[in-house]
Amino acid sequence: MTDPFNPYLPEVATILETVQETHNIKTFRVRFDDEAKMKAFTFEPGQVGQLSAPGIGESTFVINSPPTRMDYLQFSVMRAGEVTAKLHTLTAGDKVGVRAPLGNSFPVADMKGKDIVFVGGGIGMAPLRTLFLYMLDNRADFGKIRLLYGARSPQDMAFSAELPEWTGRSDIETTLTIDREAEGWQHKVGLIPNVLLEMAPAADNCVAITCGPPIMIKFTLEALKKLGFADEQIVTTLEKRMKCGIGICGRCNIGTSYVCVDGPVYTYAQLKQLPNEL
Amino acid sequence: MSRLDALKTRIKEALPGLECVIGWQKGYDALHNTPLFIRGEADVDKLEWGALNVHNPAVYLPSFAGKKVGVVVKGCDSRSVVELLQEKLIDRDNVVIFSAGCDGVVDIAKVRAKLAAAGLNAGNAEKVAVDGKTVTVTAAGKAVSMPMAEVAADKCLRCQFPNAVLADAFVGDPAPQVQAAPAADADLAALDAMSVPERMAFWRYHMDRCIRCYACRNACPMCVCRDHCIAQSREPHWLSQEDSVTEKLMFQVVHAMHLAGRCTECGECQRACPMDIPVLALKKHLNRTIHDLFDYQAGVDVAAIPPLLQFKLEEDNIKERSW
Amino acid sequence: MAAVKYIPREKLPEWLKALAAQSRVLVPVEEGGSVVFRQYDPARAPVFGSDATAPPKGAVFPACQELFSYAYGKEGEDNAPTLKLDPKTEAQPTVVFGSKPCGARGFLIFDRVYMGKKFPDPYYIAAREATVFVTMACATVENTCFCHWVGSGPADAAGSDVLLTPVEGGYTVEAVSEKGAKFLDNPALTDGAAKAAEAEAVKKASRDALGEAPDIASSPAALLSLFDDMEFWRDQSDKCVSCGACTYLCPTCYCFSITDEGTGTAGRRMRSWDACMHFQFTLEASGHNPRPTKAHRLKNRVGHKFSYYPTLHDGLIACCGCGRCVKSCPVSVDIREIVQNAVAKAKG
Ligand SMILES: Cc1cc2nc3c(=O)[nH]c(=O)nc-3n(C[C@H](O)[C@H](O)[C@H](O)COP(=O)(O)OP(=O)(O)OC[C@H]3O[C@@H](n4cnc5c(N)ncnc54)[C@H](O)[C@@H]3O)c2cc1C
Ligand code: SF4
Ligand code: SF4
Ligand code: SF4
Ligand code: SF4
Ligand code: SF4
Ligand code: FES
Repeated sequence: MTDPFNPYLPEVATILETVQETHNIKTFRVRFDDEAKMKAFTFEPGQVGQLSAPGIGESTFVINSPPTRMDYLQFSVMRAGEVTAKLHTLTAGDKVGVRAPLGNSFPVADMKGKDIVFVGGGIGMAPLRTLFLYMLDNRADFGKIRLLYGARSPQDMAFSAELPEWTGRSDIETTLTIDREAEGWQHKVGLIPNVLLEMAPAADNCVAITCGPPIMIKFTLEALKKLGFADEQIVTTLEKRMKCGIGICGRCNIGTSYVCVDGPVYTYAQLKQLPNEL
Repeated sequence: MSRLDALKTRIKEALPGLECVIGWQKGYDALHNTPLFIRGEADVDKLEWGALNVHNPAVYLPSFAGKKVGVVVKGCDSRSVVELLQEKLIDRDNVVIFSAGCDGVVDIAKVRAKLAAAGLNAGNAEKVAVDGKTVTVTAAGKAVSMPMAEVAADKCLRCQFPNAVLADAFVGDPAPQVQAAPAADADLAALDAMSVPERMAFWRYHMDRCIRCYACRNACPMCVCRDHCIAQSREPHWLSQEDSVTEKLMFQVVHAMHLAGRCTECGECQRACPMDIPVLALKKHLNRTIHDLFDYQAGVDVAAIPPLLQFKLEEDNIKERSW
Repeated sequence: MAAVKYIPREKLPEWLKALAAQSRVLVPVEEGGSVVFRQYDPARAPVFGSDATAPPKGAVFPACQELFSYAYGKEGEDNAPTLKLDPKTEAQPTVVFGSKPCGARGFLIFDRVYMGKKFPDPYYIAAREATVFVTMACATVENTCFCHWVGSGPADAAGSDVLLTPVEGGYTVEAVSEKGAKFLDNPALTDGAAKAAEAEAVKKASRDALGEAPDIASSPAALLSLFDDMEFWRDQSDKCVSCGACTYLCPTCYCFSITDEGTGTAGRRMRSWDACMHFQFTLEASGHNPRPTKAHRLKNRVGHKFSYYPTLHDGLIACCGCGRCVKSCPVSVDIREIVQNAVAKAKG
């Protein structure tokens, strides 16, 4: 007899590779030690996982590799507190625990056939990366794809190894921006919402997906509204302190919505229905 | 004019310049009063003064930082206000202190026990009458009279300051001093009489039922960390969330240490404890040590610096070089 | 349903001893002025008259519980790191004897969350299934009791397996569930038909003593409509000191935290009671806190119980009306008053 599924028990996984993205963001590529489980593993873009450093704790991160590339699961971790600091000390070969997939996902089906605008700021690029790569791997299913990715400075830009490919591809339009002039910077300079207004993507038959720090989200939403995006056409992800990740421990609710199971992905229209407690 | 009416008059006069005035009002049943936040003239008439005003309203003052508030205090509560001023946790210009002579408050736990002895449940209290030296509680239709001396809070039996040590508006006649010199502390005496293993067993027995709710901490007017307490923090990681007597007692010891020479023995920690754990004794023990070493009492002099918040090269009563 | 049985008061120890021979039996006993559930000890008389200070919540949902132990190691010639995780979900067979109906009914509120379809909780389910509730109907009620407001009552058997009712000389005993029926097989229990009418009268009298319940059916909508009215919530929460007494002593509060403890290469992950009244409950690593003040937090406590939970769970209110939060609050914050204030304020 096999034990009933234990949602608190992480899968033991091995770190295959790490990438120091910025001074405070480190990427981990991991695979479950149980090959059968790894092969059977499926998830949808936008879903998250709890990454454990047993002895210290676990924290929530989006799986930022797409389900179309299953050699490993990728998490990019910004150093913030106890668990993230511990994770940053780990390297290839070290063991971690993974509880995944958790949460809901981007409404990919609704996006088929539409134009897409990604607007990512800082570590907020992580959830966008999953969907972005997923779309590139299913390029024919979507219309025009545009990515606007901003960070404070060139040094704060994660996924730098991939940026040349993204900016070089002709079937997508990638715009990079930093807050202030920096030496050698070839791309835009300016705050994300302003650059977005300059880009002026047409709202018609388009979905905007945005993720980043709260202040950036606030002004990006304003910009999108100015560009004529309806609330239903704007998708974002929320962050709340989490523990269980499975709707039981009770801490991540906004009214009746538990971000760990009902989120983290919400349309702006859905967000407006929730009580005001971000 | 009664003390209560005089307080109401003074509060009404001062209210327009204040964010609120903190006092007491009737609570959910006859045996319970509850803190009152007077924000409008109509609230003033809800004010109560008497033996059921068991709470120490000084606990709320630091949370009003930057705003001018009024507070109604008993003698013991005024010492907490003074201690907060001593430690600059509140600003003298931002607090207006109302007070009157205090004839003592009841210890609800003692009333509960008296009623239980009479076969009654405090949860059925219908009426409470306090006259001079007697408290009469009616529960489930039966009246039980109890001498105030038997149901008063321990602190009242040894009260040295029935009249506020600091007040902006002290109304009515001062209350008489209960005793010239403080009576012995029964709980400390009982603990002193125990051997060390007995004392440890005593604390193990009591702390075992602690639910780690930290009402003891949060009801304490001198506990300044609260939201950032070592009880829950991971950095520093001094306590675990394990449900063990060791962790629970460790917290109490840390709490008591942090209150050494700062605690005014208002007794809120113990009163607030929903599990009736006698945690005040730990603070009393440290206060006694502080008193013996430094001849100091917390919360009586705004200008005094608490002994553990200052440094002297050579303390009068600690002979570091003469042993 | 099975026939009513009867047990004389002096035979209770006999029954309890028989139960204790098979399971852990928890009974309410006096400890330093409080009444708490402890393992049955014939030398300590259980307290069945008044409601226990702490409900039997810990019987199924311990204040702290190990989720799994972990051990790091090294393996093979190349000293490859290893990590072993070892969960323990088994639970001890337990009888909770002499809780009031509200204390047992609290788990019905847990069940909806812990026994959901998507992520059933194996630790909870094991403990829940291993536990039998032999509940004592209330012959008297207290000022803080309001079980009749929330669809329950002093003889509510929902959530219990056996219901005892105090009558002259002893207790009537009724099996409520199949699980409970098995526990009545004891020579100390005799036929109780003759006592049944008296038991019904006791149940009715305590229900009558509670009086009429106010109409709070609109509380879910009312509380939601006041979400942004922070002045209302300031007034309701002014006296709260942000402790955990109201939630830790609540039979329905089910929230927890997860923390790791270890030394060297081994240790364990535990879950322990936590509550929405604590500042750190929702504090994010960035320092941002969506519920920064006690007003925000009290709003969530009352909102969760009387609005969000019932909205998600067929109208079931996440409060069993035991009144512990009122009685045990150091400053007598009264949830009944807050709900009524909200209902009245929303009506305008
Ligand atoms: C849905 C979701 C997706 C996320 N994706 C990413 C990502 O891809 N990359 C990334 O760097 N960060 C992400 N975060 C934020 C990340 O979870 C927190 O920064 C991290 O938990 C901080 O943990 P800590 O132990 O270092 O901080 P501490 O301050 O020590 O936190 C203690 C504990 O509180 C909890 N906690 C604290 N802050 C948060 C928070 N903001 N969100 C969730 N739990 C928290 C965790 O359980 C943590 O272990 C995401 C958060 C959410 C909710
Ligand atoms: S200690 Fe003194 S001032 Fe305080 S309540 Fe008792 S009698 Fe009043
Ligand atoms: S108030 Fe009592 S039960 Fe709560 S933490 Fe303090 S000692 Fe423990
Ligand atoms: S018990 Fe009372 S004071 Fe403590 S958090 Fe609850 S409502 Fe606030
Ligand atoms: S909210 Fe209060 S009355 Fe309701 S079940 Fe919890 S403790 Fe009892
Ligand atoms: S009231 Fe708060 S602590 Fe209790 S169950 Fe609801 S969210 Fe959890
Ligand atoms: S993280 Fe536990 S309920 Fe959402």
